[in-house]
Amino acid sequence: MTHPLTRQELLRRATFGAALLSIPGFAAACGGDDDGGGGSGKNELADTLRFSNWTLYIDIDEKTKKRPTLDEFKQKFGVNVVYTEDINSNSEYFGKIQGPLSRGQSINRDIIVLTDNERFLSVMIDKDWTEKLDKDAIPNISNLVDVQKSPGFDPDREFSLPWQSGMTGIAYDAKQTKPITSADQLLEDPELKGRMTMLDNFSDSLGIVMLANGDDPSKVTDEGFNRALERVKAASDSGHIRRFTGNDYTGPLSKGDLKAALAWSGDIVQLQAANPNLKWGIPKDGGMIWTDNMLIPKGGDPYTASVYMNYVYDPKVAAKLAAYIAYVTPVKGAKEELAKTDPETANNELIFPTEETLSQVHLIDPAALKNDKYQEAWQAVLGA
Amino acid sequence: MGFLHRHAWLTPYLLLAPGLAWLAVFFLVPLGFLAYQSLESGSFDVGYAFDWAWGNYWDGIDRYREQLLRSLVYAALATGIALAISYPLAYWIAFRGGRWKSLLLILIIAPFFVTYLIRTLAWQTILADQGFIVGLLRDVGILGDGGRLLATSTAVVAGITYNFLPFMALPLYVSLEQIDQRLIEAAEDLYASKVQAFLRVTLPLSLPGVVAGTLLTFIPAAGDFINAELLGTPKQSMIGNVIQSKFLELADYPAAASLSFTLMAVILVLIAIYARAIGTEKLTG
Amino acid sequence: MRFIRRHVLTVYAVLAFAYLLVPIGIVILFSFNDPAGRFNYTWQGFTFDHWRNWDGVPGLRDAMVLSIEIALLASLLATILGTLIALALVRYGFRGRGATNLLIFLPMSTPEIVLGASLLALFINLKVFLGFTTILIAHIMFCISYVVVTVKARLIGFDRSLEEAAMDLGANEWTTFRKVTLPLIAPAILAGALLSFALSVDDFVITYFNSGSEITFPLFVWGAARVGAPPQVNVMGTLIFLFALTLMVVNVLVTMRREARAQA
Repeated sequence: MTHPLTRQELLRRATFGAALLSIPGFAAACGGDDDGGGGSGKNELADTLRFSNWTLYIDIDEKTKKRPTLDEFKQKFGVNVVYTEDINSNSEYFGKIQGPLSRGQSINRDIIVLTDNERFLSVMIDKDWTEKLDKDAIPNISNLVDVQKSPGFDPDREFSLPWQSGMTGIAYDAKQTKPITSADQLLEDPELKGRMTMLDNFSDSLGIVMLANGDDPSKVTDEGFNRALERVKAASDSGHIRRFTGNDYTGPLSKGDLKAALAWSGDIVQLQAANPNLKWGIPKDGGMIWTDNMLIPKGGDPYTASVYMNYVYDPKVAAKLAAYIAYVTPVKGAKEELAKTDPETANNELIFPTEETLSQVHLIDPAALKNDKYQEAWQAVLGA
Repeated sequence: MGFLHRHAWLTPYLLLAPGLAWLAVFFLVPLGFLAYQSLESGSFDVGYAFDWAWGNYWDGIDRYREQLLRSLVYAALATGIALAISYPLAYWIAFRGGRWKSLLLILIIAPFFVTYLIRTLAWQTILADQGFIVGLLRDVGILGDGGRLLATSTAVVAGITYNFLPFMALPLYVSLEQIDQRLIEAAEDLYASKVQAFLRVTLPLSLPGVVAGTLLTFIPAAGDFINAELLGTPKQSMIGNVIQSKFLELADYPAAASLSFTLMAVILVLIAIYARAIGTEKLTG
Repeated sequence: MRFIRRHVLTVYAVLAFAYLLVPIGIVILFSFNDPAGRFNYTWQGFTFDHWRNWDGVPGLRDAMVLSIEIALLASLLATILGTLIALALVRYGFRGRGATNLLIFLPMSTPEIVLGASLLALFINLKVFLGFTTILIAHIMFCISYVVVTVKARLIGFDRSLEEAAMDLGANEWTTFRKVTLPLIAPAILAGALLSFALSVDDFVITYFNSGSEITFPLFVWGAARVGAPPQVNVMGTLIFLFALTLMVVNVLVTMRREARAQA
């Protein structure tokens, strides 16, 4: 979509209601409902794949300003990809799409990506706002790593497929503090008072504390939840926890304002490149893992979307994606493929964690995410 | 022209029509929908239904009194500080700006070109714990030994002030710029000192600008959430954060809607009191 | 005494501008940074690379262009609509004056998230295509109030005797408006337009909900910051800032030249 604006286009845009950037969009405007997919037959590829993703979450070649894997997909299958980077938060994106979806309208997308450690992914599936994957078109689904094969919110993988995963652990500034290796230390070491942050999403923060308390975050009980909540609340009230952050811990951590923080593996890869003193590890009682999943929203074209998903599950393609995105790939064989061309990245444990590391990270209980009381209690700790 | 002469009473309505129509369609209708939502009850899973649920309002006021009050206090502080900072600045541009006035006005809004997030990140760099400014403040004794500026109420109020400064400065400028300098000269000719001339001539004439700037700063600042979110801790959360949370995280639309109306009502009451105190001619001429 | 006073004010103004613009300074500085890794937080080295490759991030330039287009159009239209309302409010008595004043303050007091979401609900119900037009509509809507309040501030202290004099000299109302009133309230209209521009180019929440697939500059930056906003974001911001400055400087120079020629 990086064509220069011609004069005609400028004029067109300047007159109201004429800014239409794509034929599917035009059709949608005229018809009022989804027509843009175009794939009428069951196994017919649509002309266009409309893919919404998080910003900068796919490989980019800075020299050519292109997205290599998308372009190869276009060439190989003859499908144009309209790639929109309009997701930057699960709750915000959901807030935006729940309007049309709850009224039975399409959101004009074939693939969107939501994270499994917030409730919205399950809500999409539970409310029947997603289309089923066309598994016949995804033979490469066999490359899905075992740990992702049967998550609680989609036990048969009928509606979702992982895009990338990330691990949540403890980051610390080795120049300012001794190694912080457990949640207990994080919450209780007096040296860290006012110099550490936790994440504002409860599956990361409370999940890790539950593990430290000996409770299981994949099967949350009221007692377990409350134990963890009380601990975090006390630390926050006393000022021990400086702030609850989204990914805005990255700035203070790299500048030395923080001695430690709950942090995501993908961020650390980038931060370490700039500041090698930053270390990261899974807490000794266990850390959390989250996965961004591809979904087909209602009204999207299941076949075309599934063909794309199959393409992305080819280890060669997955390797390219993993190398750029630097989060954890869900595709078996990607590491080996990447090792052929880029052994250094392939051996980066933050991007390709070992089996042992993966066994130490847990996924939050989807039922806990859907529990309104838990959510409200957590929001109250955040100040709302 | 003839038509308008015969029907002069029509003129105000014609002037108002396009703008008010725009607001009616694109603001009042959505607001009506919001009002409807505020009286629904239920839950996200089961669905919401209209229920004359006035309880949403009482509930909201009861539980979030603290955040509501805090929002008003922060907004008032930010407005006051913005006024103090902007008045001399607007004065200087109006009286000494000469032909460069427009350029200087652009400089005032220049920070908006780089988006809120980027300018906040820049401030976080400047005010970092290990940075120059905090170090200086610690040395001088204003900040304690382990003191910090970020993640405090100071940071939140400073953030709000900074981000709303143009909304105070520009209306002030507008009012000051139209003051005829000869009036000030006349006062001085009549043996008024500079200070007296300012207090007796300039200040009163600039009051409409002060009122405008105060309103344009206080009102949106009261509903702000982003400064508290990025620069504060849970202890600094404002009503805007609560509304965000209700809407986005909890998908509790009725709660978000009713809290919004509560906030709006409080703001309108405050405006009414303010108008009364100032004297309505200054507000509406 | 006078000498000192004159300079105190100027020094103060310089300090105030420094306060306003110091973050821009940081932004410009970091556009020359050479970060290893994707986050541009700490200074690592000087480079022109990101300036050379200023267009290297797909979507960034389009986002900036879109934001500017929308801001220009929105401020133009909001200024027109708002100025008309301000004129009506200050100069005429009419039924519903109080209600109109109330209506003007309401959009400013409504939290952005519920305003954005409710407007979206309207658009969805009307099955309007979400994109450029809906963003524009939303921006005009929330900017009108700011223009009204700003222009009103000017109209309130306005000396009607100038207009009366013009009319005594034979000008009709329209001519008087055009040649006397409008030039005198022009600074207020400009201020209103600038405020609208600032609001529009920086808006995130309302735009996010009503943008469909369009990405404006703030939307892009918020998303990019999650994984590290590239220095090209700084470059883009700097470019816009410099461009606006240049425009204004050129404007001043042209005016000066025109005046000089008129005097000659």
